[in-house]
Amino acid sequence: MSRMSDRSERTSTAALSTEERSEGGRAPTYSIRIRINGAWQEFEVGRDIEASHTLAYLLRERLGLTGLKVACDEGACGACTVLMDGQAILSCTTLAVEADGHEVLTIEGLPEDDPVIEAFAEQCEPGFGTALQCGYCTPGFVMATKGLLNENPHPTLDEVKEALSGNLCRCGCYAAIGQAVLRAADKMDRQGR
Amino acid sequence: MKGGFKPRIVRNFVGTYRPKIDGWEKARGEAEYLDDIALKVRFPGMLYAKVLRSPYAHARIKSLDVSRAEQLPGVHAVLTYQDPEVASLKPTQGGWTPFFTTSYDRMTWPTYKDRRVLSDHVRWVGDEAGVVVAAESEGTAQEALRLVEVEWEVLPFVLDPFEAMKPGAPVIHPEINPNGNVLPPSPFADSEVFLESGDVEKGFAEADVIIEMESDYHHADHACLGTRGCLIHWEGDKLTCYTSYYQADQTRMHITQMLDLPLHKVRVINPYIGGSFGRGNTGEQPFFIFTAILAKRTRRPVLFKHTRREDFHDSRNKIIYHCKMGAKKDGTITAAHFKSIGDAGAYSDHTMAATDYCVRGDFTPGTLAHIPNLKMETYVAYTNKIPGGCKRGIGNNQINLVFGPAVDLLSEELGMDPVELAIKNFGHEWGPVPDESLEAVLHAGARRIGWENRHRPGAGPTYDGFKKRGLGFSFHNSWHALWQEVPRGHIQVSVRVNPDCTVILDAPTAETGTGSNTCNVLSCADALSFLGIGPEEIQWISHTDTERGLKDQVQTDSAIAFVQSEMMPKVGKIVREKVLQLAAAQFERKAEDLDIIDGQVFVKDTEEEKSVKDVLWQADLVPILATVSEPLPEEVTGTPFTATFVEVEVDTETGQVEVLRAVVVHDCGTVMYPPGAEGQQVGGQAMALGETLTEEIVYDETTGVPLNFNFIDYKLMTMLDCPEVDPVLLEVWKGAGEYAACGLGESVTTCTPAAVLNAIYNAVGVRIGTIPVKPEMVLAALGKIPDRVSQEERR
Repeated sequence: MSRMSDRSERTSTAALSTEERSEGGRAPTYSIRIRINGAWQEFEVGRDIEASHTLAYLLRERLGLTGLKVACDEGACGACTVLMDGQAILSCTTLAVEADGHEVLTIEGLPEDDPVIEAFAEQCEPGFGTALQCGYCTPGFVMATKGLLNENPHPTLDEVKEALSGNLCRCGCYAAIGQAVLRAADKMDRQGR
Repeated sequence: MKGGFKPRIVRNFVGTYRPKIDGWEKARGEAEYLDDIALKVRFPGMLYAKVLRSPYAHARIKSLDVSRAEQLPGVHAVLTYQDPEVASLKPTQGGWTPFFTTSYDRMTWPTYKDRRVLSDHVRWVGDEAGVVVAAESEGTAQEALRLVEVEWEVLPFVLDPFEAMKPGAPVIHPEINPNGNVLPPSPFADSEVFLESGDVEKGFAEADVIIEMESDYHHADHACLGTRGCLIHWEGDKLTCYTSYYQADQTRMHITQMLDLPLHKVRVINPYIGGSFGRGNTGEQPFFIFTAILAKRTRRPVLFKHTRREDFHDSRNKIIYHCKMGAKKDGTITAAHFKSIGDAGAYSDHTMAATDYCVRGDFTPGTLAHIPNLKMETYVAYTNKIPGGCKRGIGNNQINLVFGPAVDLLSEELGMDPVELAIKNFGHEWGPVPDESLEAVLHAGARRIGWENRHRPGAGPTYDGFKKRGLGFSFHNSWHALWQEVPRGHIQVSVRVNPDCTVILDAPTAETGTGSNTCNVLSCADALSFLGIGPEEIQWISHTDTERGLKDQVQTDSAIAFVQSEMMPKVGKIVREKVLQLAAAQFERKAEDLDIIDGQVFVKDTEEEKSVKDVLWQADLVPILATVSEPLPEEVTGTPFTATFVEVEVDTETGQVEVLRAVVVHDCGTVMYPPGAEGQQVGGQAMALGETLTEEIVYDETTGVPLNFNFIDYKLMTMLDCPEVDPVLLEVWKGAGEYAACGLGESVTTCTPAAVLNAIYNAVGVRIGTIPVKPEMVLAALGKIPDRVSQEERR
């Protein structure tokens, strides 16, 4: 493989992935604890997970919590949104170790009749369409909405748009999502949640 | 529409506003997609496949050394184009079929078999090159590819279709055309002029006014949130494939035909799919084949799945149109000539379908049928860019981008309202002009946008010192009535009525978000409402599985909203007969002495009655089975119309265009599921406006490297960017069959780009023919900055 014509060159096709990089100089193991959907769980870094693993990777690939989706893998689409200490965060750009000592809530941790889930599932008010079509972005939108309503229980439509503008829905259900969020806020208000 | 749409025929379930049947499952995050199945926790031992991607726009592999990759711990297989099981594979084509199951020898475009599985000749940056590896983690697979030593012969490349057509341009597919990059003419036409009716020269000579218009559509990506891939494993000589491509039966056909396997030894499963918009129509992809070979070789489940970057894989075809149209003073159009240059990108896939097949078979008979003198020609060229497949239709957006502005310009030259000009001239082949559907659609749109307030181009008031507003619209025939679906062959649907009078509905079609599953459940509930049940008693089978026995309906077009529903009344009839037989035995009467109404079985001449539930529960507890497999009616009914009206605001200082509101009107014949239809109408604008204003694949012209294959730089519309959309549903046109319906999922995007261009003209009095419309293009058109590259210079 030493021949190189003038029109030839050698290339490397990819950089080391983060996963592989961590396998080089491995640090001594240590434990982290994360409260996931109400239950504290302990992980040994270097054995159960790598220090370079994202929270999304831990939740999906190791724990099978597949509600959240990894669609862009760089914090641009919001499909991986979960709550950490009640705030919406992007689990694809958060390292698992960053969640050490924190409370993480995924969509699996919401009650069956959660008013936000209900509002997304049942939206069919004329003129807006359904709040979901393919459904791939939906868990991210639901969790981003939970985060919004935790901070601002009575948002205006403009505030909803601002808060959810980091979530992409390629089916374009934005108008119906806006209605669903306002409806969920009303319902939570009535229930005193 | 606000206040709700009013159906022509009131039914119990079809045509009603109610939640989507899979709403809860999806809102809870329980719906399973390929990614949620293809996990090591579910498939222990699963390997990850990664394919070598071309770093060059055009190159050949001169030699390869994979020995270091093979030695990397965790690597289980390295497959190259030189391996006999790969080298012996037939050449293939990315778009075997427009929408039905097709074998290798009956593929739609046999002239353009331009894809190889793991080729040594790569034709765009990111093209699958001749090596694929399977390893224990994605990272190890990626590292193995890094260790592959490749000696490349870098070839000259070409990005511009006009340059690609010139003599001396680098030849991209010598096996298809050894002398250049122009594809041989479509096998359906045998000539670049694929349609000629009347005498266009004579028609133009008769015209008092002749206009010319140009448009340039770009390779807009599908950008589905769920990326494409497949998980394949073997058990003995049987292959199972889970895939996010939406055509299970056609995928089975593809795999068996390429690997010479019998059909019963390949099982393909479609779980929920994270968006599609037509991308699966280039489903005959090499990756199914190399993943199958890797799984066979390693005896392990193998997952091949695109990263976000890799999923920029096909697109709406880039087509450049020139349109000439002539009319008499009274507005009678005498002739039209459309010429297109299709930029196929690196593979033919469906670009000829977009420029020829669908224009000839759909737009011409659907909209232009009454123009007496018509000429259509097309030239399709390969370039070293992303290929073009199908996206919410095939070629309809692109021809509308020239057609809508041409109608607008012609009406201006004639001093006529474009709404009037449209109604006077356009309609489908099987009906008169004026077309009732087109009239209804245009009048509804005009009323709701406030068309009567439209001012002369550029002559409206100024807002905030620099901003001008304008109105515009475009129209098109809708996409797919029942008769156009006849090539699908027999449509198969089955129900099982359980002993407790609940129902399992098997109407197989992948759920990509279109909501056809809800349409099927509603039509099934209507057909079985005599049992006294509703949609809540019907369980739809969410995964499509070729092993379940029924042929799936490919989600290639929105007619899936009703093609399977057309079988439901037939299913209902069989169920009724079987329930009556059971009841007859229990009443000791003849079946014809009995009747069923609202869940009660009656003996007609006595007072005796019994609930259907009791009849079923007292029988043998074996579910009633009703299966229908019948072709669709062939009655040709033409197609209805769609239109989009928009209001835009153009900032004349910055060149920024904002769409303030859109009215999207569809005549559907019958609206199967209004919230689903409105969801398409509203949601489609997020995609269509993105294609018109913000989405664009950017290449480094010196290297051919695409620069923005990610969701940060390929700008999809967000919730903040979308205008208010008024979705308007009409039932004016009538098709064949029980539901007399026409689809709308494709045509929700068709007219929007042209409507925006017309509205920009109305706002500021300058025409732009290229999308996406960028601020600098607006400023250049306004003469405020120099025009960087004029269209003429390029040619």
